[in-house]
Amino acid sequence: MNVTSHLDKITKLEALRARLDRMEDFELWFWTAMNAGTHAVNAALHHAGITRPDDVFPMQPGVYLVPQPDASLKPAYCPLGDILHVGRPKVEGDIPADIAEMMKNMEAIEHHRDPCIRGEREPTEAIAVECNRALGRVLDLLAARMKGTRS
Amino acid sequence: MTPQEHRAKAEKIERSLAKCGSADYEMKIEGAMLAGTHWVNLVLHRMGVTPQQGDVLHTYMLTVNELRRLRVADPETLDALSEIEDIRPAYVRGNHAGGEQAGERAIRLLAALRKKAVVKA
Repeated sequence: MNVTSHLDKITKLEALRARLDRMEDFELWFWTAMNAGTHAVNAALHHAGITRPDDVFPMQPGVYLVPQPDASLKPAYCPLGDILHVGRPKVEGDIPADIAEMMKNMEAIEHHRDPCIRGEREPTEAIAVECNRALGRVLDLLAARMKGTRS
Repeated sequence: MTPQEHRAKAEKIERSLAKCGSADYEMKIEGAMLAGTHWVNLVLHRMGVTPQQGDVLHTYMLTVNELRRLRVADPETLDALSEIEDIRPAYVRGNHAGGEQAGERAIRLLAALRKKAVVKA
């Protein structure tokens, strides 16, 4: 998607996350944070000209749903646009330092994904705090990039 | 995970889903996928088709052969989860028109999965 669409998604997701309790609703709270962060990384990669901001929607690495003139969707092989997760697919080339830091913070969040959401590890307050802090940094870095002042 | 653990996770996620409004369709779809996957694993474990150490994460990450094998046990359950997963690209990752309807569809599919899982439990 284009940068504005990613920013719109982040706004929506952050509004929902604020209504969820990070412990009582940990699974959905976490997933909302992970989605918001992934949109942020995609927006930053588009802004940097590293990936394409096309309005096509990723199904799996290399395959995107492409809107058709009749409003239907058709799967097609496309150049790298939106990534699904940090690392899926890996983005080749020189990554600016701020985006690399965003990715590192997203990896810290995603580290808890399978154990806490798919598996039986009990989420803790410390994990929630760590994820919240990491996403905050991701969003701060994106905001700085959008303002043109890399922090 | 044990069937009991899957049920507890699915029910916890569903309680959180109740806090989502129609405009929150992205997380309604994602929550339906997460809770639905726990219901599917509960069904498959109870039927003895998959071990507790071998949870399904996404149907599309299974080999074609394994998906065919699991569909023998309960095609409706696997197909419902697949449909939820297929909704995600256009409306969760993308902004295709019709997100609210897609979110409602995901919640209906989740309800069907829960009904089957609880009956089989």
